[in-house]
Amino acid sequence: MIIRHLVFRQGRRALAGKSFQHLRRFLSTEIDSIEASAENNIKQLQSLEAQINATIAKPVPSIDSVTHATAPSAQATDSVAEQYHLFKQQQQLIGKLGSDISPHYQPHTLLNNPPSPADVTLELLLASEAHQGHATSLWNPANARYIHGIRQGIHIISLDVTAAHLRRAAKVVQEVSKRGGVVLFVGTRAGQERAMVRAAELAKGCHLFERWIPGSITNGQQILGRCRTKVVNEKDEEVTGFEEQLYDRAVLRPELVVCMNPLENYVLLHECALNNIPTIGVIDTDADPTWVTYPIPANDDSLRCIQVIAGVLGRAGEAGQKQRLEAAEKGVITYRPARGLRLPNDPEDQSPSPEENLKDTDGWAEKLDAAANHEGDGKRIKVVA
Amino acid sequence: MARGELSRGLRRAIDSLGLPRCERSIPVPRTIFRPTTARCLSTSISKHAELVSETPEKFTAAPPIDFDKQDGKERGKKALLRTLRVIPASPSYFSAKPTFTGDFINLSALLRKVATLPTIPAAEAPKVAWKTIDQYRIMVNEPVKTQRYHKMVHILRRLNCIHPSLMPEEVTQAMLRYKKASQPGDVKPKPGVIDEWGRAKGVGRRKTSSAVAWVVEGEGGVLINGKSLSNFFPRLHDRESAVWALKATQRLDKYNVWGLVTGGGVTGQAEALTLAVAKALLVHEPALKPALRRAGCVTRDPRKVERKKAGHVKARKMPTWVKR
Repeated sequence: MIIRHLVFRQGRRALAGKSFQHLRRFLSTEIDSIEASAENNIKQLQSLEAQINATIAKPVPSIDSVTHATAPSAQATDSVAEQYHLFKQQQQLIGKLGSDISPHYQPHTLLNNPPSPADVTLELLLASEAHQGHATSLWNPANARYIHGIRQGIHIISLDVTAAHLRRAAKVVQEVSKRGGVVLFVGTRAGQERAMVRAAELAKGCHLFERWIPGSITNGQQILGRCRTKVVNEKDEEVTGFEEQLYDRAVLRPELVVCMNPLENYVLLHECALNNIPTIGVIDTDADPTWVTYPIPANDDSLRCIQVIAGVLGRAGEAGQKQRLEAAEKGVITYRPARGLRLPNDPEDQSPSPEENLKDTDGWAEKLDAAANHEGDGKRIKVVA
Repeated sequence: MARGELSRGLRRAIDSLGLPRCERSIPVPRTIFRPTTARCLSTSISKHAELVSETPEKFTAAPPIDFDKQDGKERGKKALLRTLRVIPASPSYFSAKPTFTGDFINLSALLRKVATLPTIPAAEAPKVAWKTIDQYRIMVNEPVKTQRYHKMVHILRRLNCIHPSLMPEEVTQAMLRYKKASQPGDVKPKPGVIDEWGRAKGVGRRKTSSAVAWVVEGEGGVLINGKSLSNFFPRLHDRESAVWALKATQRLDKYNVWGLVTGGGVTGQAEALTLAVAKALLVHEPALKPALRRAGCVTRDPRKVERKKAGHVKARKMPTWVKR
């Protein structure tokens, strides 16, 4: 291939170079000399070809037979699988060689190994652009106390306040998790899915990365009625036999909502406020901090910042769950048990006597009572940052 | 009303309370021996006589109450109830479609895991029929949006493009859930057979006609419904199209055709025969398939008479518009 190209190029250049002479010589009828020169040209090309062939034929010496796995099996491996395995082997052998790279930002680490509340530093927040607010004209004056200043026309959020609020929110999440509450992580902007799923996984809570269906709390029976719930004991092992009772039970509500983009989730926050469910929200300079119970002033447009915040809160939830399970090991129940559950294999419940039939209305009253209590439960955890 | 119901309920309750007692009392008279020869008129005396004459039935008294045990049981149950709490079965509970969201998250995670494996172009990937949105909705029983499902199918297609020699078992298992029960290439038509008299049968349909043709090796005789081709089809074009499969492959003088055709008109019958003869010929010589396809003898023409609609004069023709 290379040689053919060379011949082409050389030949053309030779012809182009000679064309002037060619015409002149044609006029002077020196045809034989032209022929001779052409022959010479061809001879030169042939020698060049031979040279190139010689160099190509030489085998490339391997650097080290141990590390260089290709050398022994130099023959063509046509199978893709073989080639892939060979590549993997090579990568394992020599992938780490070369210069030492100083610590740098690797996007996946925030998801794979999120920072815990103890790792929250101003450097981390600054690196994740938590300080960048919006253009000054877009601001919500209620955020004045979180704003450090103005730079190039945008508000700069003071990171010490961010860190303090983030730590406080982490404590809230930890305490709710410790008390067996369901924490809902909501991030409905594009790209926030993984962070939400990861945080929910850590905190054993719930996640939502699509639209919040309006009425999921206020009209929950219609919207979440079909979603399955389960009964678990203190060690989070599922206890079976309660399916029929769960079928009649009211749908679940989150005990705490963490919202990464309050601006788009007005309905969710409104419903939470109506039902006395505490909320944590990332409040940018254009958002209203009164929408949420525990604001975290930070940049909600940066995915990296959202990943840091979600990771920290997820880790806090993880710590809370761990505390709860540890207490359960010792026989201490840190949460309020579910009300109105009856044991499925109780003989008294299995064959209700006629007296109980008459008292059925009382059972309903009890249930309603329980629901009212549940509504009134909305415990506010007071945590000082 | 309410009082009546209550009283009825009470009566029923009393009845049900009374029932077991009755059952218990039944065996007692059975065991009592009543001498037929008793001549006493007074019942009390006879009872006295019974008690004297018969030994009473043996029984054992109820065991003593074990307070500790019963208490312990109760306490255990209460303690269990005190540890229970109700939580969502899936972390996607509040999305109102937990199964779908769970599936989507699992597939995305799987794709992230195998993203670096070598792939083949989508055109060369094995053909897979994925479940349609309706089939999936029935499977999970959740209101899944079409666009979201398409996103998931996009991931599935990408997973399907992994090089077959490196396809992980995990991925194959995960994809099974989203495949239709029957895949393209699963259903293969039964190969036709030549019977002991050297006949091959073929069936063809067109418009409302249907034809059966038996093709035998011979010297070019054609009998349709017991008549010769020229007698059965007066039109030259129909004659040609009936044996077009043989004519297009220059085998008119090598086979005999015996056909039965019913229904429809002349053209429909002729073209139904084309298909029937072609199918029977394919049994004799399967290698002719490309040639026959090119001649237009393999595909069934699905066109039928369109039904007439209400408010139309014909299938589509509207009545003439008159101003007043």
